[in-house]
Amino acid sequence: MNDWQPKITTFLCHWCSYGAADLAGVSRFQYPPNFRIIRVPCSGRISPKFILAALRHGADAVWVSG
Amino acid sequence: MITFKLNGKTVQGDGGEYILPVAQRNGVEIPTLCHHKVLEPAGMCRLCTVELFDGRRSRFVTSCNYPIWEGMEVKTDSARVRQGRKLIVEMLLARCPDVPVLKRLGTEYGVEEPRFKKGDDDCILCGLCTRICERVGASAISLTGRGLEMEVSTPFGEKTDVCLACGACASVCPTGHINMDVVREKHAAHEVELIASEYDMGLKGRKPIYIPYAQAIPNTPAIDRSKCVHFKTGGCKICEEACGVKAIDHTQQDEILELNVGAVVLAPGFKPFDPSKYVTYQYSKHPNVMTSMEFERILSASGPTMGHLVRMSDHKEPKKIAWLQCVGSRDMNRCDHPYCSSVCCMYAIKEASIAKEHAGSDLDCAIFFMDMRTHGKDFERYYDAAREKHGVRFIRSRVHSIEPNAGGDDLVLRYATEKGEQVEETFDMVVLSIGLEISEEIKGLAEKLGINLTEGGFCNTSSFTPVATNKEGIYVCGAFQGPKDIPQSVIEASSAAAEAGALLSEARNTLTRAKEDIKERDIRGERPRIGVFVCHCGINIGSIVDVKGVRDYAKTLPYVEYVADNLYSCSQDTQDAMTQVIKANDLNRIVVAACTPKTHEPLFQETLVNAGLNRYLFEMTNIRNQDSWVHKDEPEKATEKAKDLVRMAVAKAALIESLQEAQLSVNQKAMVIGGGISGMTAARSLSRQGYQVCLVERSGELGGQALNLFQTWKGEKVGAELDALIRSVKSDSRIDLRLGSEIENVEGFVGSFKTSLSSKSGKDTVEHGVTVIATGASEYKPTEYLYGKDPRVVTHLELDRKFKDDDPALKDVKTAVFIQCVGSREPERPYCSRVCCTHSIESALHIKEINPDASVYVLYRDIRTYGEREYLYRKARAKGVIFVRFALDKKPCVSATPEGLSVVVEDHILGRDIAIRADMLALASAIVPYKDEKLAQFFKVPMNEDGFFVEAHAKLGPSEFSTDGVFLCGLAHYPKPIDESVAHAQAASSRAVRLLARKNISVSGTVAQTNPLYCSSCGICVSICPYSAPHFIEKGPFTGRAEINPVLCKGCGLCVASCRSGAINLKGFGTDQIMAMINEM
Repeated sequence: MNDWQPKITTFLCHWCSYGAADLAGVSRFQYPPNFRIIRVPCSGRISPKFILAALRHGADAVWVSG
Repeated sequence: MITFKLNGKTVQGDGGEYILPVAQRNGVEIPTLCHHKVLEPAGMCRLCTVELFDGRRSRFVTSCNYPIWEGMEVKTDSARVRQGRKLIVEMLLARCPDVPVLKRLGTEYGVEEPRFKKGDDDCILCGLCTRICERVGASAISLTGRGLEMEVSTPFGEKTDVCLACGACASVCPTGHINMDVVREKHAAHEVELIASEYDMGLKGRKPIYIPYAQAIPNTPAIDRSKCVHFKTGGCKICEEACGVKAIDHTQQDEILELNVGAVVLAPGFKPFDPSKYVTYQYSKHPNVMTSMEFERILSASGPTMGHLVRMSDHKEPKKIAWLQCVGSRDMNRCDHPYCSSVCCMYAIKEASIAKEHAGSDLDCAIFFMDMRTHGKDFERYYDAAREKHGVRFIRSRVHSIEPNAGGDDLVLRYATEKGEQVEETFDMVVLSIGLEISEEIKGLAEKLGINLTEGGFCNTSSFTPVATNKEGIYVCGAFQGPKDIPQSVIEASSAAAEAGALLSEARNTLTRAKEDIKERDIRGERPRIGVFVCHCGINIGSIVDVKGVRDYAKTLPYVEYVADNLYSCSQDTQDAMTQVIKANDLNRIVVAACTPKTHEPLFQETLVNAGLNRYLFEMTNIRNQDSWVHKDEPEKATEKAKDLVRMAVAKAALIESLQEAQLSVNQKAMVIGGGISGMTAARSLSRQGYQVCLVERSGELGGQALNLFQTWKGEKVGAELDALIRSVKSDSRIDLRLGSEIENVEGFVGSFKTSLSSKSGKDTVEHGVTVIATGASEYKPTEYLYGKDPRVVTHLELDRKFKDDDPALKDVKTAVFIQCVGSREPERPYCSRVCCTHSIESALHIKEINPDASVYVLYRDIRTYGEREYLYRKARAKGVIFVRFALDKKPCVSATPEGLSVVVEDHILGRDIAIRADMLALASAIVPYKDEKLAQFFKVPMNEDGFFVEAHAKLGPSEFSTDGVFLCGLAHYPKPIDESVAHAQAASSRAVRLLARKNISVSGTVAQTNPLYCSSCGICVSICPYSAPHFIEKGPFTGRAEINPVLCKGCGLCVASCRSGAINLKGFGTDQIMAMINEM
């Protein structure tokens, strides 16, 4: 169980959080490579269906940021 | 090319290369302490020893300086190599037992305790420092002495001028033996200083070659010629070698360019005040006394402490912070700055609130101030929240001095409370709220240009032409025009652009060139043929992610027909090559795995267009900012992530389609609503830029509130200027003036509005492309202080009327009282009306002018004469106007007596009630918006709880609405004086012309579209869209179903996610496309 790593599906708003994730890169902040980012035009685009689909496809967590 | 075996694997290198760099290139790590890629190897540390088999026998060589040859076999990590390295590590560790890097190596090679006699050195004599010193062209240090005496030193161990204190030796030293303290103490004869990072306010150092800050545009490094050693010695040029694209050219010279221009806009900004002059504040002596600009960097996530709130002396988290206001402002004694800097009160409150957010509520923040000046839109609410919700302490006191406490890092402030008690309080940190000043350099520029400056050194302008200098064709904006905050600076910037645009309107579009139109290939019906380009971005991606591996992986994905990896995908030659590849391979969808679409998507889309593809047949995935840069210690996982991201992008790409951008022609006429100063100025500005304007005013005359005004704070008579403006509007052939007209209805949207007007003479419909709302505000009619019950009580506008009419009764006023904040800063109207303090003081001075013996009292809560308006306040006090402060809960009491009005107020210095017998009482009544909900609905623009219209962005979009094609200026936005209204009106006109000048606008193709067959007419999309894009179809078979106007849609997708019938699709971010990405995750 100690080796277990969560898989996180991430939806980032193009205008804010996606830019913040870019800035984290520019600033060379290091974080674990456990999540995969899907860029969306706005967090308002997120339908509950996407969250359920991500969980169904094996995501351990879903992160919506916007 | 030489081929040899490395750990059993066949590898290749160029003739003359050494083993170590070839091994590194092939991902084989060999430990070394004395190797640096730009320096000739020396084989000093011996750690890089490897085993070499030459066909007959094995031997040990140092890989850093042993050249490769055909057929050799090298083992870098055999048991014998490890054994030999262990001995080397053991000996190094015996010499330098406390060096961390050697301790780590000791652990790695199983050396717990060296068997040899331990020394206490930390230099391993690797010679890196001496070699780099030679390379940079100084040769100030060398390995001196022999045998056991050998050490790194200058000749004879003396400090020398030859050492440039450049720090190259310290930067390469593997053990930390040489650091800048050593350089300072032993090597350099002259001063050793950190190169202060300008961006981090000197709290951090920077290199001589540097990018000023992460978001700098252009985001390319610059060389600081005054610090770069090459310009001192002629040597070094290490950066030239390190740069993968050979972009560095040390021979470049400064060029003087001559530009032929028709107008100049000056926006040179301000200089933060240097508080070293305030000797008693210890700024230059104590690290825990810092300026507000430095504190901003401490709070910033990209700052020197990464947003962690600590103080400088000991990096301890402070528990108590004090802000001292007006450092370098409103002060004639310690600096020559009599003006108010306008922004410091607000930024201090902001800094205190954010500091509390960062550090938690137990942080004590105290702001020491004279008058709290929160006169901007929504600022008063922010002030109230800081005080009441966040518990920031506000102490009305001017602190004389800051003393360090005995022996500690804390600071002691002594101050007098409002009651006159002396208090001593200790703080961990003190922030000086420094003011804005104009630098000598800018003053020199102004002199060169022949531009007049004010007493405070700012550009001199008039209230009716706030961005025009005294030189025709030279305009000014921002803090050089006067101290101001961001929204006001943005307004003036647009205003200056409008003025320059009006001056040059005849030359509009005479220097533009048309772009070549490339025919778009129709890809409908084609099977997806995806091209995937993976970028190395030099070493940015390539050194972490296995780019070639990702490329090869992409080839295995469905529909992928072509893959390539590029060193720099964004370079012009790669772009040209991509265009050719797309055409040659009939690719119809492109995926680029590189940096961020936020900066590079448009560039690649342009490449698609050049290759004859629709720009939306493109998908970008981010394997730099969101992968290689953030997982640099986990290259394998980063490569896995890159593969996943490419797979997701390919899955989406297979589903994307060509999108069309709706074209819209912009009706070239503008409508301005409101005939006050703002409306008239906006109309005139639009007309002067060459556009037809319909100016609508509901009353029968032009002028608005300005009809009541006597003079501006600069002493300009409003009446004469207003008459001139009205005449210019009436005689302007491009302005279609509609007096006495009301707006009945509005249809349409940006580019094609249809507005129905009604007036006494009948009804009429006007078509226009843009709208400027300048509907103004009115004066609050007080119910307090006997207003309306006693004729001696007037509002400040009524008093202005008397001034205008030169009312003879004013000569008999012996005692006049002004009461401030009547209807403003009250629970039911919690905003500051911004203009009243200046206006009342100006009126008070005028009364003094009419009758110098009159007693004049101003009863106030905070005097808010921001910027250079402060001079008026100073002048009023000099002329004997008496200012008495009162608190919200102790308002003055007014009663009428036969001898006059009696005004009773508690004097803040005496702490006792004083009674003033007055002949006249002027009330500074609030500015109240019209709350015109009908107009707000017509143009689909929002209004705040006070009834002012809400702009697109409080800081960056103050003159427009988020609804396209509708603009805002004047009092309808927020109370403001004439100069600011004029600037705001010109700004709105400038923003409107951006649309008008394009004639046709094409809107983004990533918009939502309904399928009326599925629509259940629930109306959710219509009600939630922030941009009013969806509406119900009114005619035809789908009447009552929703439809989305692509021109208004911003593509946010809110309606798509909310549609319960699944009738809406967001093109470019379709549900199928996002689902495809989720499936591949």
